[in-house]
Amino acid sequence: MVIYLIKRLFAVVPIILFAIFLMFVLVRLSPVDPAQAYLAASNIHPTEELLAEKRQEFGLDRPLIVQYFQTVADIVRFDFGNSYVTNTPVWQEITTRLPATLQLALSSILVAIIVSVPLGFLSAVYKNSWLDHFSRLLSYLGASIPQFWLGYVLIFFFAVKLDLFPVEGRGTWQHFVLPSITLSLALIAIYTRLLRASVLEELEEAYVLYGRTRGLKEKGIMAKHVLRISISPMLTGLGMNLGKLLTGTIIVEQVFSWPGFGRFFIEAIFNRDIPVIQSYVVLAACLFIVCNLIVDIIQLYLDPRISRKGRAQF
Amino acid sequence: MKIHNSKKNLFLALAACAALALSACSDENAAGSADAESDNPNSITMSWPRDIGPMNPHVYNPSQLITQSMIYEPLVSYEEGGEIEPHLAESWTVSEDGREYTFKLREGVQFTDGSSLTSEVVKKNFDAVLANKNSHSWLGVINVLDKIEVVDELTFKMVLTQAYYPALQDLAVVRPVRMLGEAGFPEDGDTSKGITEPVGTGPWVLDEYKTDEYAVFKRNPDYWGESPELEEVTIKIIPDAETRVLAFEKGELDLIYGEGVVSMDSFNYLKETGEYTTDLSDPVATRTMLVNSTSEKLSDLNVRLALHHGFDKQAMVEGITLGLEEKADSILSSNFPYAQEDIEAIEYDVEKAASYLDEAGWKLESGGAIREKDGQPLELELIYDKTDPIQKAMAETLQAEWSAIGVKLNIAGLELTEQIERRKAGNFDLDFWYNYGAPYDPHSMINVVAEDGWGVSEAHSNLPMKTELDEQVREALASTDETKRQELYGTILTTLQEQSVFIPISYMKKTVAYQNNIESFEFPANRDEHPFNDISVSK
Repeated sequence: MVIYLIKRLFAVVPIILFAIFLMFVLVRLSPVDPAQAYLAASNIHPTEELLAEKRQEFGLDRPLIVQYFQTVADIVRFDFGNSYVTNTPVWQEITTRLPATLQLALSSILVAIIVSVPLGFLSAVYKNSWLDHFSRLLSYLGASIPQFWLGYVLIFFFAVKLDLFPVEGRGTWQHFVLPSITLSLALIAIYTRLLRASVLEELEEAYVLYGRTRGLKEKGIMAKHVLRISISPMLTGLGMNLGKLLTGTIIVEQVFSWPGFGRFFIEAIFNRDIPVIQSYVVLAACLFIVCNLIVDIIQLYLDPRISRKGRAQF
Repeated sequence: MKIHNSKKNLFLALAACAALALSACSDENAAGSADAESDNPNSITMSWPRDIGPMNPHVYNPSQLITQSMIYEPLVSYEEGGEIEPHLAESWTVSEDGREYTFKLREGVQFTDGSSLTSEVVKKNFDAVLANKNSHSWLGVINVLDKIEVVDELTFKMVLTQAYYPALQDLAVVRPVRMLGEAGFPEDGDTSKGITEPVGTGPWVLDEYKTDEYAVFKRNPDYWGESPELEEVTIKIIPDAETRVLAFEKGELDLIYGEGVVSMDSFNYLKETGEYTTDLSDPVATRTMLVNSTSEKLSDLNVRLALHHGFDKQAMVEGITLGLEEKADSILSSNFPYAQEDIEAIEYDVEKAASYLDEAGWKLESGGAIREKDGQPLELELIYDKTDPIQKAMAETLQAEWSAIGVKLNIAGLELTEQIERRKAGNFDLDFWYNYGAPYDPHSMINVVAEDGWGVSEAHSNLPMKTELDEQVREALASTDETKRQELYGTILTTLQEQSVFIPISYMKKTVAYQNNIESFEFPANRDEHPFNDISVSK
């Protein structure tokens, strides 16, 4: 187990290095000069002298290879540099905004789990019932409704017309409700179907029949055995989606004026704020890896068969 | 049993973490949110698309002009019709050669740190700006500013390297020439790296601020001038235009104000409900088409005139901007100084357009759709900012309109920075361009007509009278004789119109929508200034 974890942690290094390389190449493929973008965003007329001065200030006048190794060296030392636009350390910008994004991601995951676990499980147990049809409809809707549209509709009905929740902003628990529902509907759509399919598959397994013949209670079989094992694919999906959520709440942050990192990142892209873009890429890579790792560990606990398989490999 | 317990513990730990993270942060912000929505009846809440930024008066992005103008004040202010009025400077005299301005500061003006406004502080501000002259070279007065000399505690002299008539207009802009108090300066005095705190003399003080969420401004109790009626202004950061409208409809906002802060559809919707007051400002700038005279086909005046006559401007502007902009016949609207009332409009006339093209030798072959000359089709390229829906819609309309006179228009949507680069490199036929608005115009506009580096003078360089035009611009900017200047402006604006190197399209306006608790609202004359001093609410 420890060796497995160490191995996984070492695998992070090449992935991060590759992410930095990819980001470095992609940003520089753009025809837009960051110095020009900075001046345009500031409404300053870009004279040649000013552009040269800014390029020098940003270190963009040095050879590409030097810039690349400098970037890698800085990131290895956890020095993410200063934002071109705000002139404050990127790390400070991230730590100011990331908690808001984390909260939103976490609350959406909670809503998704609370809704999709019972719904997915029961729609498999009561296959073809009205509940199953309802969960199917919900999944179709969740998969096909664009998030920004759903956000506006929820605001219109629940904030403006019914006056139950605030339109935008962050603060009380009420502020969480609409953005969390907006973000979680797509997840509910996926998890419900995943869990339903997985439960149906498990119900065909011999151990269920064995349990029944032993006279175990149906509830016990379902809760202690079937659900525990069927939840595994859902957890894998959760791991992948948690990373995606942390980096992909941008649209919802925009619609609900949620002061998260996504909004800051979008502006950074338009302004070609390279230090912010590269920090975001590194952070996203780390988040994806860590989230997947956490899910793998949870799975090891839930399904000892995976653990045994894992040990057999070492 | 042991395994079972550890599983249980793991889940408990995860659940506890999640609950803690959510609740801890909710509590932390509950206070903030409550504070953002004030109970004070003499306060208003408005929205702004971006965070207000570090409020440094000497730098630009990401600080927002509207909030910078609440805290910091200029030496002189720009008022209706371009009148320059005393502000922190009570009076001034200009030397005969136009190179020395002697200002007398108002007595008893205090910064919010308790210190007084003196010539020394003014000099310190200008020195900080001059230390980064390159960053501010776009502002004419900084370019010609030689030094600031302190005469006595309340008198100082601004010495220019050459006469420059718009010096006072330039001193009225929001940044970088507004006054920061002593306590706001960092130890080395270099404000380009940041300030220690936003200390100004303005009617508003930043009371509370949360990055990306809101900023609360309180009325400055020690303000030297007439105090605003409002006691408090909360600015909520709402980046999305539709959410802004929904928050306004719900009553979470009292005011939506600015340029492009709501979509044209939404503005008209709010207007039609009849539940709110909506209004449009006087023109703040002109949406214009820049015509590149160095492009082979556009070097011919007849072709430029044909394009100018060849589209129904009124219909296009009304159709696309839904009445929020007004058809422009001249590049300078009549509310600006030196605007020429008698400039002849170039009206929509398809027949005239066709005859100009015939005259230029661009003929339409029978059965053909595009005019040709020496086997070359009359094909032009219009570049536009792809993120701007109005530019895009106008480009598409022009494409259709000009095809009716046998001109093939190719339209290319670019990123803003690429559009600017291509303009500067002269790599375009037609491009959307805007003048700068008050208090920058008309001097900034004519300056770019004569000076290279902006892409405008370069685009006009093929005009037969280009040398005289440049000379007239320089003379107008340096002239100390008002009558002469008026005359020069007349000549310059008429030449630009007759030569059709600018095709004025529409006058852009600011929009405002407010709830009925707001009793009075006035648009500020300065495009970048905040409107809060003149707002009153029913109590």
